[in-house]
Amino acid sequence: MMPGPTLMSAVTAVLERGLNRALSLDPAGRQALMEALTGPVQFTVEAPLNLTLALVPATSRVQVVSQPPQSPALELVGRPLAFAALATGDDQVFSQNRIRVVGDMALAHQFQRAIDQLDPDWEAAIAEYLGDVPAHFVGQRLRGAAKWSQQAFRSLNANVEEYIHEESRSLPGRRELEATFEDIDQLSLRAERLDARIRQLEPGNESSDATENRKPESS
Amino acid sequence: MSEQQPANKPAVNSGDDVTHFGFRNVPKSQKAGQVADVFHSVAGKYDLMNDLMSMGIHRLWKRFTIELSGVRKGHQVLDIAGGTGDLTMKFSDLVGPTGKVVLADINASMLQVGRGRLMDRGYAGNIEYVQADAEHLPFPDNSFNAVSIAFGLRNVTDKDQALRDMARVLKPGGKLMVLEFSKPTNPLLSKAYDAYSFNALPLMGQLIAGDSGSYKYLAESIRMHPDQETLKGMMETAGLVNCKYFNMTGGVVALHVGIKP
Repeated sequence: MMPGPTLMSAVTAVLERGLNRALSLDPAGRQALMEALTGPVQFTVEAPLNLTLALVPATSRVQVVSQPPQSPALELVGRPLAFAALATGDDQVFSQNRIRVVGDMALAHQFQRAIDQLDPDWEAAIAEYLGDVPAHFVGQRLRGAAKWSQQAFRSLNANVEEYIHEESRSLPGRRELEATFEDIDQLSLRAERLDARIRQLEPGNESSDATENRKPESS
Repeated sequence: MSEQQPANKPAVNSGDDVTHFGFRNVPKSQKAGQVADVFHSVAGKYDLMNDLMSMGIHRLWKRFTIELSGVRKGHQVLDIAGGTGDLTMKFSDLVGPTGKVVLADINASMLQVGRGRLMDRGYAGNIEYVQADAEHLPFPDNSFNAVSIAFGLRNVTDKDQALRDMARVLKPGGKLMVLEFSKPTNPLLSKAYDAYSFNALPLMGQLIAGDSGSYKYLAESIRMHPDQETLKGMMETAGLVNCKYFNMTGGVVALHVGIKP
């Protein structure tokens, strides 16, 4: 069941406030997004949410609405995960058709680039409340924590992969697998060639093959 | 009317020369003056009281109205009974420098408070202020892309005439939006709402605005206002098409929308 208009208005109000706050912390990103928003952009989120949201350009801010605009410049339709991928900068969502685009495809790419380039200065936002020095201290710690988390995630991934491939031998390694596939391809090619030769040497095929072989010479 | 009305509500005289002012019947010629007195009295504390009485939810009701308006850059918008300019502010952002918003209110005190508030917040250039009666709008036919009236229609003496005039000033294809208190759809909510509005509202009015009478009128005028289906029918009679309404907060408030053909 969809939430009522009052609740949806509360949701869009929160989203709008958050988006405009983030945009105010990145003037260049804000300008790029406003240029991409030549008209309303509608997001139709399919199952399990079945939700429609739209970004509408206003004079000094971006409006988030829950009602489909009358004539959107661009409509993006997809599942929630595809929109999450779009927000995190995955540029394959359009080519893989995970998000369907109704409208100008170039505008969709411009919009995606604008979203991807957004880099709000969160440290400035914290500095408004704590002051510059504490905000820088907090910012450094947060950046360090984020960097450490990414590194730890990559490291964990590599360790798990190594364990599965090299230690437990549950799955073959990528290079091993590629070499095996290459061998299978070569074997298949050789078998086809051998089969062709055998057919050529069979008594019934001799005359026809000979005729076939002579044809190019006579012409 | 509906079962939500308290038992002490008197019968309404359906004579041509009287109308209701809350639960009282008054001559039609006097209603506008009495409503004006109410709003002269509450204008200074209007925003604060709105926030307190609705617990801030009136902002969400107005927000939904804006979302549904479909107003874009360059549009001409009329905000009738615009009061302290909540809707006008949002419309002004949407229409941009090439559009125009007219904030109209019959009450000079409300208009003055609204104009001061908007100017203090830097809204200027695309807003005009007009003291006007909703029944006799001083604008040519087919002038506006959208007309809104938020929490104002129930105070109008001749609602049918007002709806006809709003339809007249709309451009063909233009949208009329009437945001107004209505009838709760859930009986339990209705009882709680009655208890709240007949007891808490006048008390809050007395404590904060020093005027319980105006807030008693507010509660009574809400009960006398047509319910969702009746108002929809009135809009259709006024010549609007595709009329529909959206109940908000269980029908405490309804947004009616109609299109001028």
